[in-house]
Amino acid sequence: MNTKHPALTWIALATGIALIVLAVVYWIEPASGLPSFIPGHEAGSSHHHIKHGIAAFFVGVALLVYAWFQTGDKKQATPAT
Amino acid sequence: MILADTVITYAQAIILGLLQGVTELFPISSLGHSVILPQLFGWDIHQNDDYFITFLVATHLATAIVLFFFFLKDWIRILRGLGRSLRDRGIAPDDADAKLGWLLVVGTIPAGVLGLLLEHTLRGAFASALSASIFLVCNGLLLFGAEALRRRAPQTADDDDTRIARQMSFLQSFGVGAAQAIALIPGFSRSGAAIGGGLLVGLSHKDAARFAFLLATPIIGAAAILKLPELAGAQGDGIRGQALVAALCSGATAYLAVRFLMKYFETRTLIPFAVWCVTFGGACTVYFVVS
Repeated sequence: MNTKHPALTWIALATGIALIVLAVVYWIEPASGLPSFIPGHEAGSSHHHIKHGIAAFFVGVALLVYAWFQTGDKKQATPAT
Repeated sequence: MILADTVITYAQAIILGLLQGVTELFPISSLGHSVILPQLFGWDIHQNDDYFITFLVATHLATAIVLFFFFLKDWIRILRGLGRSLRDRGIAPDDADAKLGWLLVVGTIPAGVLGLLLEHTLRGAFASALSASIFLVCNGLLLFGAEALRRRAPQTADDDDTRIARQMSFLQSFGVGAAQAIALIPGFSRSGAAIGGGLLVGLSHKDAARFAFLLATPIIGAAAILKLPELAGAQGDGIRGQALVAALCSGATAYLAVRFLMKYFETRTLIPFAVWCVTFGGACTVYFVVS
């Protein structure tokens, strides 16, 4: 991969995918079903954290876009600079 | 269940709609005014009642639609610029539309995320008319501060979007976007925070206002669309007629407001809005404390 900051690009890619997976978990699992280390976990609650999911999804997509830009032409500016 | 038509009359809906359209775009806090005025008029309407939040969704959606169509040509250029940059995997140095597009994306992320995560908590904690009045005074002081600390904008012959794209960095756009989250507290203004932030990073009043309105469109629109199902569901029972009337009024005044403000900020400053926030907020604070 011809990237400007290879380590940052891989971190952004992995974190972006993880956040999108987290978003799906927020959407399909009730608060009681979330792992206890995830924000929003609430024992006995049937509430779905839809908004948490939307936030995680968009931040995840933003990180994937960042990674995508990092693989582009080195002469061009990117949103990260 | 509370029947909404016993609480919001059509006359109240018209007044609230007209007010919402103006105050959403003027840097004087729509949320603050929609908390304070019902209390001043003695209306039995409360900011955190489900039916009222559902009612406001319609007015927000109308404002977002008006903003979108007002800047439609800009949005088309911006979206094309975003597409070009994604295709090329980077922003060409002379592509102002792409740069402006990504500035808006970067500014929208913190505002959207903070809004999604904190809206319910902050609204619940500061929903009283007294706290909204106090925060309205604080909003006025922030506007005064932004004027006092603003950096002078360089005069260039570029078009509006090129000036903004050249002047603003992505980090600054992120900061301006995050500053908008303060408007989750009734009394603070989203457009005030964004315009003030724009002035602090060196934009002119006109460019700061333009950037603030472009930044506001996806946030207001997305927040409204997210809650639109509630208007169609049980929470909208008995309120849809009033919401439609309020939305039409809000759309009309939002159009007049954005047209006025884009002209106004060519030559004028935030000071009159700051004076309004301090005097009206101060007077309301005294009134609510005494009464």
